[in-house]
Amino acid sequence: MADLKSVLSRSPSVVTRKTGKEYVLVPVTNNIADMTSVYTLNETGAFIWEQIDGSINTGQIIELLVTEYNIDYDTAAIDVFNFIRDLENYLITSHD
Amino acid sequence: MRSYNLNIAGYKIRIETTDDGPELIPSDRFLKNICFGREHDVLIRVRQGAPEIPEEAERVFVAPYVIEVKGIKINRKENFWSVYRDNVNLYITATFPSYSKKKNAMLRFSLLEREWDLWLDEQVHATDPLEYPLDGLILYYLTAINDDIMIHASGVNYAGNGYLFSGVSGRGKTTMAKLWDESGAKVIHDDRLIIRNVGGAYRMFNTPVYKDDYPNQSPLSKIFIIGHGPENEIAPLKGASAVSSVVANCIQHNWDPEMIARFLGSVSIMCSMVPTVNLSFIPDTKVIDFILSHENEPTE
Repeated sequence: MADLKSVLSRSPSVVTRKTGKEYVLVPVTNNIADMTSVYTLNETGAFIWEQIDGSINTGQIIELLVTEYNIDYDTAAIDVFNFIRDLENYLITSHD
Repeated sequence: MRSYNLNIAGYKIRIETTDDGPELIPSDRFLKNICFGREHDVLIRVRQGAPEIPEEAERVFVAPYVIEVKGIKINRKENFWSVYRDNVNLYITATFPSYSKKKNAMLRFSLLEREWDLWLDEQVHATDPLEYPLDGLILYYLTAINDDIMIHASGVNYAGNGYLFSGVSGRGKTTMAKLWDESGAKVIHDDRLIIRNVGGAYRMFNTPVYKDDYPNQSPLSKIFIIGHGPENEIAPLKGASAVSSVVANCIQHNWDPEMIARFLGSVSIMCSMVPTVNLSFIPDTKVIDFILSHENEPTE
């Protein structure tokens, strides 16, 4: 489970398309059962996604979100951990 | 016959048997798509035999055979059809569950070439070379080559406007087509459509699914992502929400990142040009009036 020091990486097996300030994410799959899997990132999710580069940790992303949207730390932390919960193991990975 | 040409959704497909290949007998559902002339977008040579997939080829996609009984999906066979890749060469192996005898097929093709080879291992004098699931697989890869879109949807044309209704199984595609049919609309299809950009405008085409299907097409004016609801309600979809709602209902073999990227590009451009909305509906004819009453409303 990711914590503040966890470093996030994007899965190489996902194709993204930016539409306005949002993203559509489609995982690469080898099975027809998964072929309708598609994810949408809203503006906040898109911002978090764009920060993930394999070197920045969760705590740093929260700080960037606080600065970008001028929101309080707790709200930003909830957004980031919800993002990780929804996408972890499939579209992003976390490691210490 | 030794060869014939099909026009399906504007794709010109020439089927030829080789010197040692079987006679070709297209099934009833293709007869209305047979056209004259030798001009073609793709040539499929039909051969008899069962060659091996090259050892170097990697299986990149597999589909089980699933049937749905009373809303429950039952997996009848693990390997219904598969896609293999060896550099630019692709191979599809397929079985034919609705065929009474045991028959296997292998299609060798490439997204870069327009001459494909189909082997059928059945030792018969004559056969239909495009039996399910081969027809849909061939059409899918033609859409991928042409940056077109194949979608689970019904489509109708009413007073010159083309309405597409898409949703997963049970959301009302066929019901919607019947309601429009009763209201005098021309039904393009009730199950599967191909969408193409023709001269800068989008059109929807049917494909031969049922034996009484006639080739049909219509301009595409609006896309409805449908579901049953307690009342008739329309909500515009924009940007990524529109794209992902459409993508979720499209036929797609998502094993290749480049193909996915091109497909996402096609859907994104279409959704920027064709209004896309969510429609919850009660399945009676009032939904027709409801949709038409919203026709002049801005979707912004």
